[in-house]
Order: sequence, then C-alpha cells, then structure tokens
Amino acid sequence: MGIDVTVKIGGEAGQGIQTVGELLARACYQSGLYLMAVNDFESRIRGGHSFMQLRISDRPVMAPDHRVHLLIALNERTLQTHRSEIAEGGRVLFDSEAGGSDQSVLHVPVTKLAREAGGRIMANTVAAGACLAMLGAPDKALEQVLRQRFGDKKTGVLENNLKAAKSGVEAVAGVSFDWAFQWPDKAPAGKLLSGARVLALGALAAECRFAAFYPMSPATDVMVNLSGFETQLPLVVEQAEGEIAAVNMVIGASFAGVRAMTATSGGGFALMSEGLGLAGITETPIVIINSQRPGPATGLPTRTAQADLRFMLHAAQDDFPRFILAPGSLESAFETMVRAFALADKHQVPVIVATDQYFNDSLAIADKTLEVPEHVDRHIVGDADMEDPAAYKRFVFTDSGVSPRALPCNGRALVMVSGNEHQEDGHISERISDRIGQMDKRQRKFEGMQKEMRAPETVYPDSRVLLVGWGSTAGMIRESVEMLRDGGVDAGAVCFTDIWPFPETEVTEILDRCQRFYMVEQNATAQLGWLIRERTGRKFAQAVLKYDGRPFFPLEIADKVKACEEVS
Amino acid sequence: MVEAADYQCDFENKWCPGCGNFGIVNAMKDALAALDLPPEKVLLVSGIGQAAKTPHFLKCNFFHGLHGRALAVATGAKIANHDIPVLVNMGDGDCYGEGGNHFLAAIRRNIDVTLLVHDNRVYGLTKGQASPTSDRGFVTRIQAEGARSDPMNPVALALSQGAGFVARGYCGSKEQLGDLIRQGLEYPGFSLIDILQVCVSFNHVNTYDWYRERVFDINGNGHQPGDLQAAMKYAHPEGGRIPTGLIYRKETVPFTQRIPRLNAGPLLGQKYDRDKVQGLIQGA
Repeated sequence: MGIDVTVKIGGEAGQGIQTVGELLARACYQSGLYLMAVNDFESRIRGGHSFMQLRISDRPVMAPDHRVHLLIALNERTLQTHRSEIAEGGRVLFDSEAGGSDQSVLHVPVTKLAREAGGRIMANTVAAGACLAMLGAPDKALEQVLRQRFGDKKTGVLENNLKAAKSGVEAVAGVSFDWAFQWPDKAPAGKLLSGARVLALGALAAECRFAAFYPMSPATDVMVNLSGFETQLPLVVEQAEGEIAAVNMVIGASFAGVRAMTATSGGGFALMSEGLGLAGITETPIVIINSQRPGPATGLPTRTAQADLRFMLHAAQDDFPRFILAPGSLESAFETMVRAFALADKHQVPVIVATDQYFNDSLAIADKTLEVPEHVDRHIVGDADMEDPAAYKRFVFTDSGVSPRALPCNGRALVMVSGNEHQEDGHISERISDRIGQMDKRQRKFEGMQKEMRAPETVYPDSRVLLVGWGSTAGMIRESVEMLRDGGVDAGAVCFTDIWPFPETEVTEILDRCQRFYMVEQNATAQLGWLIRERTGRKFAQAVLKYDGRPFFPLEIADKVKACEEVS
Repeated sequence: MVEAADYQCDFENKWCPGCGNFGIVNAMKDALAALDLPPEKVLLVSGIGQAAKTPHFLKCNFFHGLHGRALAVATGAKIANHDIPVLVNMGDGDCYGEGGNHFLAAIRRNIDVTLLVHDNRVYGLTKGQASPTSDRGFVTRIQAEGARSDPMNPVALALSQGAGFVARGYCGSKEQLGDLIRQGLEYPGFSLIDILQVCVSFNHVNTYDWYRERVFDINGNGHQPGDLQAAMKYAHPEGGRIPTGLIYRKETVPFTQRIPRLNAGPLLGQKYDRDKVQGLIQGA
C-alpha cells in the first residue's frame, strides 16, 4: 500500500488557508510526491469558512479523497465542521493556547508561536511546519520552499519564516501520528499547476495573441495567468467593460488576424451568446473558455458544476456549427487549448472549452511534458493565393463549407463581413438563394468537424457496467471504477472530452458493449445522458448526480453505483 | 492619387431617397481620398441600424457586426493591427443606447478609431421610435404622448469624460463634414464626430429646413479647439442655434501606444518564437 494521505486546512477567508496549502503542496511536490489540492471557499474576502484539501500520494492523483487524515483547524468552526471526516488514526491540529490535547485533537498555539517568531502573519508558516513534521517530512522540505518564496524579500522576512517553521516543527515533536510516512527524496514528478494556469499555458502554446475578459469567478485566474506573459510574448490581455465587449473585442481581433480568446463563467457566457452567434455567422474563429459554476443567475459563485452543457450546445439563436471540448486532466486541458485554436482556425468556427471551478482552482501535477506544437497553421490566404484578389469573396460557396479566409488590409483583396445574412462577397442579402446557400455552407462544415472528434477515453471498456461522464470528473470516475472493481463490480469508465459535434459512431460502439451504463455528472438532470440518448438512442440506467456545488468524491460515486447494482 | 470615385461601390443602396446618410457617405469618400487612402487600406466597422449599413455602400474592408457593439469589435481589430485606419459607423440608438457603455470605455481607452455617429434622433431601421437623442415630447407611433426622457448630449458627455477629439458635423454640410472626418482620421486617439443627420421618413421635426436655420460653423468664427470652456459652451446649443465644427481637440496618448508590447509594431506582425514559448512553459 502506497502513500495516500489527505490534509485539510480550514479557517476564515483572509487567514491564509491557501498560503498554508500552497506551502504544503510545494514541499510535497519538491520531494517528488504527487498531490492534488482542492480549494473550497465562500464568495467573500474575509470571514466565513474556507478550506483547502490536500491529497498526497506517491502515485498520480486526480480526485479529492473523502477521508481526512490530518485536519489543521485554524479556528473552532473548522474543528466542529470537519471533525467527523477524520479517518481512523487521523488527528486534528488545532490553533489553541488552551492546552489539553487528547488522542485526536492536538492543541498547538499556532498564532502565539507566530507572534513570537516575528508576527501573526506567519501563522501559516507555523502551521505548515507542524503539519509537515507530523507527516514525517524532513525539515529541509519546507525550508527549501520558504527560501524560494521569501528569499528575495527584505531582510528578516526569510529568517522569521524559518524561525516560525522551526517553532511549528518543535511544537509537535514527539507526537505520534499513524499516517506519517517515509518521505522520498526525488526530483519533482512533473509540474505543479492549477487548472487555470494550464489553460493559460495551452493558449500560449497555441499562439494566442489577444485575450479580453471581464472578471468573473472562477474564470478570472485564467486571465491572471495569461497576463503574466504579456511582457515576454506578442500578447495583449485586456479587461473589457463587460462580457459583451470582451467577446466582441475577441471577434474583432480575430477578424484582423490574431488568435484570440476569452474566459468566463455561465453568467458571462450568457451575455456572450449574441457574440457567439456573430462568430458563427461571420465564420470568425474564436475560443471561449466557460468555467462552469452552479446557476442560474449568480448561483454559487465560488462553487463547481457541470450544468451548462445544454446551454453551450444551444446558446445563441438559430443553428450554426461550434465545437465543445471538455478536458478532464491538466495535460488534456493543455492539449485541448492547442486543439481549440487549431480547430477554430481550420473550420472558422467558435470553440467552447468547458471547464469548471473545481478544475480551474485545483492544483495538481502534470507529469507529461507540455509540448508546444512545432507548427501553427493559420489557414489564412493572401493575394498571392488568389487568381484575382479584386474578385475575392470571403464567403464563397465551397464543398467543405469552409471558404478561404483573407485578412482585412493585408493585400488588395477586400474582406467584407456581415452579421446579417449575406451573399458570397459579404454584402447583406435577403435573397432566398443566398440565405439557403450560406446556411447550407455553414452547416456543411459539420461533416469535416465531425471527423475531428475523438472517441471518449475508456477504462476497462469491456466491463459489464460503464460509468459515463465528461470533463473534470474524469479523475473521480476512474478512481470510483477502481473502488467498484475492488468491491467485485465489473465496472469501467467512459470519459468524454470531445462533446460536440457528438462522436456518435464511436460512442454507440462503446455503449453497445456494456450491459448498462450510469451517468456521472455534476448537474441535476444528467445533461450528457440525455444528449447521448438524443444522438445514439442509448439510454442510461441511472444517473449519479451531484449539484450542491462541491466536487464528487470517488467513494460517493462508487457507493451510489453499487447500490443501484445491488437492486438491479 | 486616390479619388473619391475610387470608393464607388456598385452594391445596391438600401436607404430612403433623400436620406441624410448619403451626405455622410460622400463626406467619408472625400476624407479618405484627401488622405490618399485606397479602399484596401481602410477598415470600416459598424453596428446595426441604417447608419451601420454604411460600409456596404462604399468600397472598403468592413465588419458589420451587432447592435451597439461596433466599438468593441473595432477595439479588438485595432489592438490586433494598429496600423489599420479604422472608421466606425453607428447610429444614435446603436452607439448611445445599446452601446453606451462601449462609448464610455472607448473614450477612456482613447482607442485610435474615428467614430461617426449618424445622429438623426430617431430609430430608422425599426421604423420610428424615440432615440437617446430625441427631444422630450418627440411624438412617435409608440411614444404617442411624446418621449418621456430628456435627450442625452453626446458632445457634452464626451467632453466631460476627457475625449481628445470631439466634433459636431451636419450631413448637409458636406465639405465641413469631410474635413472633420479627415481630421478625425489623422488624430492619434479616439475621435468622435456626432453628425446631425436628417431622417426623411421618421423624423419630421429635425428636417433639412430645421437644421439649415440653426447650424453654424464655429471654426471659421474664431473658436479655438484647445479651449475646453468654450468647447463646453458649444456643446450645449442655445438660442435656437447649433454650433458645428471641431469643438475640442487636445494631444493625448492613443491606447495602442499605452501598451509597451505594441511599440515593436502591430501585434499581428510580431514574431512568435516557438522555442521561447516552450521555455516559458517549461519554467512555469
């Protein structure tokens, strides 16, 4: 049995829970361990109750665990709320000067020790020191992280933090902890990244040059990460005056020739709907990240959901082709972004990348190299590619539905584009032949787009029952399948990344091999389940649904499927 | 040399006979010819409305987008390729109603585009409803008792927000208007030309005759465009007279010059170094 330990750090917003979490995560990462850190916070800057759940393992992990082995309670409320989650042999490290530790709750005067080391602000470092010491980490694990983090700060900061870490370590000296483990001394397993960061890196690799956004949780971090590269690369990130402006700026930038994107969440995506349609009818390539959260309206701003699938499929009036891709891992998210921009350019359509709060805000390790493509094909034509540039028609009828795309002010060819229905040269037209011709031309793209679609990834595809999900839940579903198999259920997993155009043939083939399949989705109605029904005629047996805004635990999924299996 | 006739386009015009837009299109052609800009070197961006159809009626590159959103599209295009001269055609409903927020943001950014607002104080495309610049009491089929809101004053609004180039033109003064558009295009920064425009179908109050009695040129009468106080005075017509011309102009730093990255040239043309990106991702 390998290492699989979960630490939960809880307190008020503003207490620095994320700082403790990040210190721990970095210390684990640099020792060569795998980890996943999930953030759970309220929509407020101070107060309330927030926590970060850090799962540490010697194998790759892509799901949170329901068991807590070590709870760091920075306040009383954390202790009361999460005490029941403590696994057997687990302990609580409670910030208290009261003393009176018992078998499970260990009172450590974290804040007092921080003050003694130089300031209350270092309570995070004291807590991290104590926590790592209990887990059996060598002192240098945290020391190295602190040196990186505070090494360039003014004198005294690093020294005080080292002192704080040491006092944390000493405070738990001699305390026994069943879940302590032998720490490896290896090189980091890959790259420690948040979902938001990996999406930004993917955009860079795809040669995205312009991004516009309006701040909205949980999408803002994608743009925060992207803007960090503005000074180093040909890239401009602009905070727009609203989501409508953001998507229209992106369309303008793409029309003028640069790859462009925006990132938002459901409410902002709703505002972008008309722009999405504009990209559709003007055949302007754009990429929109929709980081989902529960709705409708403001819903739960800092929580997670997969409840916009139907909306993304149908947003904006009338029919037009679009791609919807929903990555299920860090590596897949990077690759999906690269693909999204390539597909947008090739087919001249909008591409929606669906993620969610859980994916964007969680930290994990990407252990495959994030490879920038050797070549970026823009699918753009110039005068030299035309017999007569003066006769260029942006929306000329073609068999594939894709017309050669020239850029404005880039030669003699005039590029004329209208969001009204238009004739081949781009001028508005209400002629029936133009309407039918252009509509059919756009719809014809589906055929080429369909060929780009990949089958969902499968695990144990020949199993009697299959668990089917999409996007960020891939890690939880895979782990739940392992649990089910350990419990004697012949189960496999089907995890969708490519959702639209729907890969009908491949999905039908996969589903026809099992006896029955269960949908696993973070929404209230099994949105993908009904899409599968619509596109393949295959109907799910039951659905495991969670829409409370919190990510699934693998055990939850396994338990529910097991219960269904027992009655069927 | 580029001639106004080079902008001649054979696409069938869809405006009413006598529409004030004809004067605006002709003034645009004169301005572009005066700057020696051939059609393939210019980008027109428009929203939705009768005014927004303008790009279809002269030869050019254009993006005819959504109601209210032309300035956002133009901003994206300008950031992507700031060497392109960009003209934006919008109506009063389009720009000041649906697109009001983008109008304010364009002034704040000082995005280097020239905005022509075809301000006919009525909705034409949707057949005659009151617009943000209609007078209170302006009677329409739907505002049978007259418009209930007061009109906004776009020129005063732009001045109050620090716009660096603010002009008021009139569709019936082609020479003056052409000259204002030329100056707007030459101005490095955001330029607003609010154009008093006649709608022969739906506005029977603000007619050619009505304007002819009221408009007068301020630049020929000694107004110094650098004088903000005088500009504010001219922004508010009084005594039944409407001042037209270049109301205000000051030196500003256009948006794309505020982005150090763009000093190296248009974003579109900058070199993308794959190995550098790979290195940055490796180190991220």
